[in-house]
Amino acid sequence: MSLKAWLGIDKIQKFGQMVKEIGGVKAVLKKRYLMDATRVGTLVGSDNFGNRYYENNAYFVPRNRWVEFPDKVWLDYDATQVPPEWHSWLHHITDDAPSVKPPPTQDWVLEHKENTSIYADKKYVPYSTTRTKIQGWQPGEKPQFD
Amino acid sequence: MLSALRTAGAVGTRRLASTQAIASNSEAPKGIATTGTPFLNPSSKAEYALARLDDVLNLAQRGSIWPLTFGLACCAVEMMHFAAPRYDMDRYGVVFRASPRQADLIFVAGTVTNKMAPALRRIYDQMPEAKWVISMGSCANGGGYYHYAYSVLRGCDRVIPVDIYVPGCPPTAEALLYGVLQLQKKIKRKREAQLWYRR
Repeated sequence: MSLKAWLGIDKIQKFGQMVKEIGGVKAVLKKRYLMDATRVGTLVGSDNFGNRYYENNAYFVPRNRWVEFPDKVWLDYDATQVPPEWHSWLHHITDDAPSVKPPPTQDWVLEHKENTSIYADKKYVPYSTTRTKIQGWQPGEKPQFD
Repeated sequence: MLSALRTAGAVGTRRLASTQAIASNSEAPKGIATTGTPFLNPSSKAEYALARLDDVLNLAQRGSIWPLTFGLACCAVEMMHFAAPRYDMDRYGVVFRASPRQADLIFVAGTVTNKMAPALRRIYDQMPEAKWVISMGSCANGGGYYHYAYSVLRGCDRVIPVDIYVPGCPPTAEALLYGVLQLQKKIKRKREAQLWYRR
């Protein structure tokens, strides 16, 4: 154990290195505000929603892969903003990132959509696809009796 | 006169389009929007002030949602997993309370039988105001497997108002966690003070 390690100076140096890599104190504070962590890793890929995916194997397994959401979602990030192929990579279902080895896809696979069910104007409202068995009376219509 | 109005309207729409273009180009929000508030277009100064009050109220409320355990069936096991260290609901300020008088939220986890329905309603009525309900699992959402049983309530929303429905049979602890996060998002948009002012 070197004197540096014994005094813990290497940790401070490492932190300084991380601050430099993120891009200054202001960028670090922004990152902590948005994702509650000061982490740097290698950029593995990105998707067409603007999410960027990082990996740093210095962290232990569940924490070594993470996603950084684009600035436009700001604090309204959500787990469903991650498409399924990247979800499987983030959760170690696959070893290879979809940017390296894209998973097989079909014509009928729909494009991924975020869950917007808590927004009143965007939520899914169920509807009936069958014909109604009774017919309602419309106001102003002449009542019909058999 | 009409033509003047029309040109004014055209100018208005053009300006709107240009501002939208700027909004989509500049990624990060500016000003008060950086705090993550959903109330960005106040109509007056009073409403602006009350919107900030709402922000603080909502922040406090969503940061410490204390749920009441209403475990009725196997869903309750998943609810316990949510409390256990792997999913660790405590990090979101979600702590189980055994008394409805100290709870903000009720997890209806499991099959609500007809016999249990009045008890559920009574427990819900005993909770203090600003209360939420998460219906967990198929049985609580709509009867599920027991929809046609003679003794089961066809969804807990027949007796209490539900905020978030978590689907699954049973839903995973992750799904319940996601439900709680959705509820937090919902609380974020609550307009308690602003609606008081409107009245």
